[in-house]
Amino acid sequence: MSTYVYCITRSGDAGPLPEDLTGVGDPPLPVRQLEQDGLTAVVSDCPGRLRPKRRDLLAHQRVLTEVGRKSAALPMRFGSIAEADDDVRDVLREHADSYRQKLQQLDGRVEYNIKAVHQQEAVLHHVLARNADLRARAEANRRAGGGTYEERLQFGELVAAAVRECETEDAEAVRRALEPAAEGVRVGPESTGWFVNLSFLVTQADAERLLTAVRRLTDELPHLELRVNGPLPPYSFTDA
Amino acid sequence: MSVVPAQQSGGAGGTSGLYDVLELVLDRGLVIDAFVRVSLVGIEILKVDVRVVVASVDTYLRFAEACNRLDLEAGPHRSPGLPDLVGEITEGGAEHGARGKTKGALSGAAQAVSDAIHRTPGEGESRGRGTAASRRKKEETE
Repeated sequence: MSTYVYCITRSGDAGPLPEDLTGVGDPPLPVRQLEQDGLTAVVSDCPGRLRPKRRDLLAHQRVLTEVGRKSAALPMRFGSIAEADDDVRDVLREHADSYRQKLQQLDGRVEYNIKAVHQQEAVLHHVLARNADLRARAEANRRAGGGTYEERLQFGELVAAAVRECETEDAEAVRRALEPAAEGVRVGPESTGWFVNLSFLVTQADAERLLTAVRRLTDELPHLELRVNGPLPPYSFTDA
Repeated sequence: MSVVPAQQSGGAGGTSGLYDVLELVLDRGLVIDAFVRVSLVGIEILKVDVRVVVASVDTYLRFAEACNRLDLEAGPHRSPGLPDLVGEITEGGAEHGARGKTKGALSGAAQAVSDAIHRTPGEGESRGRGTAASRRKKEETE
């Protein structure tokens, strides 16, 4: 039976786990603790055929959140599996100093993830408002009943370039506005789903400062939509 | 503009929160060489397109169309008038008239994603708004 690993904590920090805490698997498997050299790994048995299903992703997140509520925890990436409990203990023994150091750095800290997208109508209005040439073309097309296919294509391409330029500027503005409120910043994975994906490490006490900066920013850049998620386990700062 | 409220509960309870942090759960967090990682082959969770700019003929035509519909004189939501609007921007001020009302296609796409995530197994097909990518994702994350 292989062992699924959720996170690593300092022994004694977390105390006993809630009795009903369950992890991955269907039915969900009970979560338990493995102790070694003053560190505790939070683990469960690993189901036979683990896949990144919604149920299991949520279970992973739930265990991290529950453990992180009471103590500093180093979150593992989803799907980290050891051959057996003893292999987990070996890893704790081997890397004890480094894990202890990371846990100290993350103690009392949480992650906030912030993504930004443009609202289409608002950003189009924004780029047209500051570009006289685009405005003139839009007017000309409109007078011509929308313009020919070629004209529309050419105009749309220019608008797309202007919007992309606006993305670059706004991405920089977001980082500049929020960075001072955080101890650490990491760039999240890129995707077509957003043009800003930043994670911020803050002490629990400083979270309000970050959220205030977010509110100020959205007042300044009304064509932005900011999606704030947190407090989260410090997924992006395990290399801290 | 809108700010999705921070999930003070820790984001553990709801699947709506899961979508927004999926890439962190799958792509961040400590990796230990001695451990095996579950295979993510075939997962396309990140291919959900809710972004304004994706360069393609379709996008260009969509932009041209949307710009034709924009009322440049009046502004889309309030009536600052274009000269005022330009003036405000030049002064570094904000055009508050556009706030919160211009979601349109974007939030539609986000909603489709959210629908996909919320759909429970056996609930039947999605409501026709999900893209192929979000349907794939939905299948993978269930």
